Amino acid sequence: MNPLPGGSEDASLRRERVSSPASGTAKPAARVAGEVIVSADGISKYFDVSAPWLNRVLEGKPRTILRAVDDVSFSIRRGETLSLVGESGCGKSTVARVLVGLFAPTKGRVEFFGRDLAEMNTATGRSLRQKLQMIFQDPYASLNPRWRVADIVAEPLRAHGVMTESGRITARVDELLGLVRLSPADKVKYPHQFSGGQRQRISIARALATNPEFLVCDEPTSALDVSVQAQVLNLMKDLQRELGLTYLFISHNLAVVHHISNRVGVMYLGRIVELAPKARLFSLPRHPYTRMLLDAIPDLDMTGRARTPVAGEVPNPLNPPSGCTFHPRCPHANERCRREAPALRLHGDPGDDVQVACHAVEEGRIG
Amino acid sequence: MNSPLLEVRNLRIEFPTRRGTLLAVDDVSFAIAPGEVLGVVGESGAGKSLTGAAVIGLLEPPGRIARGEVKLAGLRIDNLLPDEMRKVRGREIGAIFQDPLTSLNPLYTVGQQLTETITTHLHMSQQQARSRAIDLLAATGIPAPERRIDHYPHQFSGGMRQRVVIALALAAEPKLVIADEPTTALDVSIQAQIIQLLKTLCREKKTAVMLITHDMGVIAETADRVAVMYAGRIAEIGPVAEVIHRPQHPYTAGLMGSIPSMEHESERLAQIEGSMPRLTEIPAGCAFHPRCEKAFARCGRERPELMPAGSSQAACWLHAGDSARRVA
Repeated sequence: MNPLPGGSEDASLRRERVSSPASGTAKPAARVAGEVIVSADGISKYFDVSAPWLNRVLEGKPRTILRAVDDVSFSIRRGETLSLVGESGCGKSTVARVLVGLFAPTKGRVEFFGRDLAEMNTATGRSLRQKLQMIFQDPYASLNPRWRVADIVAEPLRAHGVMTESGRITARVDELLGLVRLSPADKVKYPHQFSGGQRQRISIARALATNPEFLVCDEPTSALDVSVQAQVLNLMKDLQRELGLTYLFISHNLAVVHHISNRVGVMYLGRIVELAPKARLFSLPRHPYTRMLLDAIPDLDMTGRARTPVAGEVPNPLNPPSGCTFHPRCPHANERCRREAPALRLHGDPGDDVQVACHAVEEGRIG
Repeated sequence: MNSPLLEVRNLRIEFPTRRGTLLAVDDVSFAIAPGEVLGVVGESGAGKSLTGAAVIGLLEPPGRIARGEVKLAGLRIDNLLPDEMRKVRGREIGAIFQDPLTSLNPLYTVGQQLTETITTHLHMSQQQARSRAIDLLAATGIPAPERRIDHYPHQFSGGMRQRVVIALALAAEPKLVIADEPTTALDVSIQAQIIQLLKTLCREKKTAVMLITHDMGVIAETADRVAVMYAGRIAEIGPVAEVIHRPQHPYTAGLMGSIPSMEHESERLAQIEGSMPRLTEIPAGCAFHPRCEKAFARCGRERPELMPAGSSQAACWLHAGDSARRVA
């Protein structure tokens, strides 16, 4: 891994890292060792989806604000994979976009190596930004169909001015293609000449071009067939080991999340309802929504057995329920749940590192 | 076994193109008994949806059935005239597609669409059809059906729309339903509800189902038997528990191994190298042999047909000895 440019900057980063006030989420020592690389501190992203101004004036329509992400906090340590899982519209992709700076958060801040992501557009920030890359869901839409693979993979190198000399760029592209198990001969081809899985490898090669430390992966295998998904997941795990990468992995597929993560955050209507190490989340889910999600997964081993379907549907995020947004679907909801939104709090032994946002769990009404 | 409801024999689907004829489905045979759920799994491009479309007579030109026959309750339906087929479709065979938004007409209320289907196929007055439509919506778990019947598709959520599509498919009490990826566009929690619903309704009405999906989990809890397709052919067909737990074809075994499991921890997933061949370059012999770890000389030379393998049938030369051994 390249050291961060500038010795003094590096030192200041380290200082900030030490003094950074742990972003609202408590971090016990039990976790993957290594410093915090990314932390999200109370980030919210609101979208104004109001009718056009004239309609509002003439028809008296109110302003409508969509709270896509609402007060989400977490931190990720070096070498770790944190997954965010949830159903469509829960805000997981918005979190991913805020984290790489594609959306500016409405509230809260994202720190990357202890520095505010908002500074990323400055000159020093740009060199930090190389350390942060993204892999998108749709390998058909995220590669320019008119560019050859060599240009696609080299784009970040040119954009960041990492390399200018064409010989070195070619060598780097060959190396990157080898890294994702493609052949250097593929670099003269166009994206349409590849299958979905191979295209996703090209996306990964492009993301790795600038030697990033942190990759945001937004549903990287959702558009792929299972056997191809297995290839890409294996590759991602191998690369993580070889290059010491840190991942934020966004998915709706709990089985995939179980396979790839160290820690898992479950999102519902813009909030994290449970954040726990993988083993604990899957063996002992606390939040009623997590339990329902786990129950809803078809399991190959239960041939013929009926599962308990989750009752109801995700409510309209434009008009979310009061209090805990899950209360209309929750079998344990009471008056307090309808009134007061629960905060994400450490639950049980702090060493377990389990955080839950549920009144019933907090009050001990459910185990 | 009682006589099959649906019988597909040696089905071959071709796409004539300027650069030659593409063989999308090649020599596929299977049968579905009344009330049975047959799962058809495979990766994209394996030919599973085309097989379903051929059964219901909805192959998009230039695709055409080049050989083979489709029999419903003993009568051939693949050579019917379009008008005759239209009567079979909806009445005898219902269809549920992946995207509920595109299978409903946005310009008509769900009530209009349901009563149209009902009056077309069953002898009922508008009034009777409407009350039957309300019953159907209620049976598919739509709250306040008397009110919802006059709503347009866009007023329903994704899960509710798929319920309407199911109501529509079952409106004329067909004997067979072709469900092509019925839950793929839905969230997991809704998916469970829809699968449960489809299962219960079909069991009550003794409707046979051809369930086409790429999701083994959905198959595992819904199907009685499962056919695994690869490159336009059936690689393996057998009882669902057998195929999942004792796969006989190396492709099925690889497919099962590549599904991440929540039950046990594994560092790596089993992986099948390479990808499914394009239709233009399907290898000779067994189409899977270039990717198969167990391939031997015969696999590249001769195409295996389905042969008994364990309690299933597999198109794989590894099982060539099985039947001989059994006879001996």
